[in-house]
Amino acid sequence: MYLDMHSHSVSSDDSRATVEQYLKWIGVLRKRGHVVDGIVLTEHRKFDFDKDYSALASQYGVVVLKGSELDTRYGHVLVYGVTEPLTREIDFSNVAMDTRELLKAARQHDAYAVPAHPGRFGIGLTEYIQQGETFDDVRIVERLNGGSRKGENERAWELCDNMGYLGVGGSDAHLTSHIGTCLTKFPTDISTEAELVEALLSEQFQPVWLKDATNGTTGE
Amino acid sequence: MATELDYDRSLHDKEHEAGPFEVTESQIQAFSRGIAETNPIYTDPAAAKAQGFRAIVAPPTFCTIMVRQVSLSDINLKFNGAPMGGGMHAGQRVQSRAPIMAGDALTASSHLKDVYAKTGRSGTMVFIVWETTFRNQDGTVVADVQESFVRRG
Repeated sequence: MYLDMHSHSVSSDDSRATVEQYLKWIGVLRKRGHVVDGIVLTEHRKFDFDKDYSALASQYGVVVLKGSELDTRYGHVLVYGVTEPLTREIDFSNVAMDTRELLKAARQHDAYAVPAHPGRFGIGLTEYIQQGETFDDVRIVERLNGGSRKGENERAWELCDNMGYLGVGGSDAHLTSHIGTCLTKFPTDISTEAELVEALLSEQFQPVWLKDATNGTTGE
Repeated sequence: MATELDYDRSLHDKEHEAGPFEVTESQIQAFSRGIAETNPIYTDPAAAKAQGFRAIVAPPTFCTIMVRQVSLSDINLKFNGAPMGGGMHAGQRVQSRAPIMAGDALTASSHLKDVYAKTGRSGTMVFIVWETTFRNQDGTVVADVQESFVRRG
């Protein structure tokens, strides 16, 4: 299945897209021949325990999972499978938290942390590795990011090659029509956050551009 | 290292009152011209009355100019121990609650809603969010305006 692993709804301070708008747009993408099975809402510096998108997911036939994108001292980090114990240990609003502590805490509390857009100039993980920082617990990074500027995905690609990291893909959508621009292809079905963590641990996935996620009928 | 975001947190619990601000027909007409609004209920008293209003109606975003007349407190912001320098306006959201009409006298009640830090390509930024509720002379809430200001470290 194909999941957009990085998106922001109006629950984030800088997005104007509602979840329903995203799901409607995915309907448009499907009519164009693309395969987009689900999205992960990775809201900035928070986790929405109180939000339930199951009715919308059922109505539009799209898997909707919840995660977080946290600001850390060494760049942004996507967190999948967020649990209450994790939110008790980690202050999600702390933009100066040590990325390494977050990576460890996530695994200790059944979640999984993935550095976002590592090739981003000025803030990506690449910058800090070049400065001599080490991140022993990083195994997966966001290799394809739909919000990247020219050269940034290439830097992420190079980082993966040099460090042996695996990669996922996500749109980083803040606007409706950006959803699904980058995706992650999994060999198994995923319908819960816990299953997503298991799928990441299995290390069987690959990042893809939307143009490569087609059903072979009417793709763009 | 924890983020040290220091500011006057007591402002969260304080309501800053301002007004009354008189709403005039000429203000509404000028605002409507400024946003290229042509619906006659916003410009023509007779058309507004024909639609059941006692005077011309202010467009839904009218309070964006009223909120500029509200003086907001300095929150004495410091980030990691250092005062944060000059800021800039970072956006507004208006929730229209009830019609505002010429002849109304609005009062404003503002409180500090949120202060948070975020990081991006250009470094660390701190957002300061104020929320102002406008009421008319009858005490009816007519609009909520949320304003954000951003400062850089």
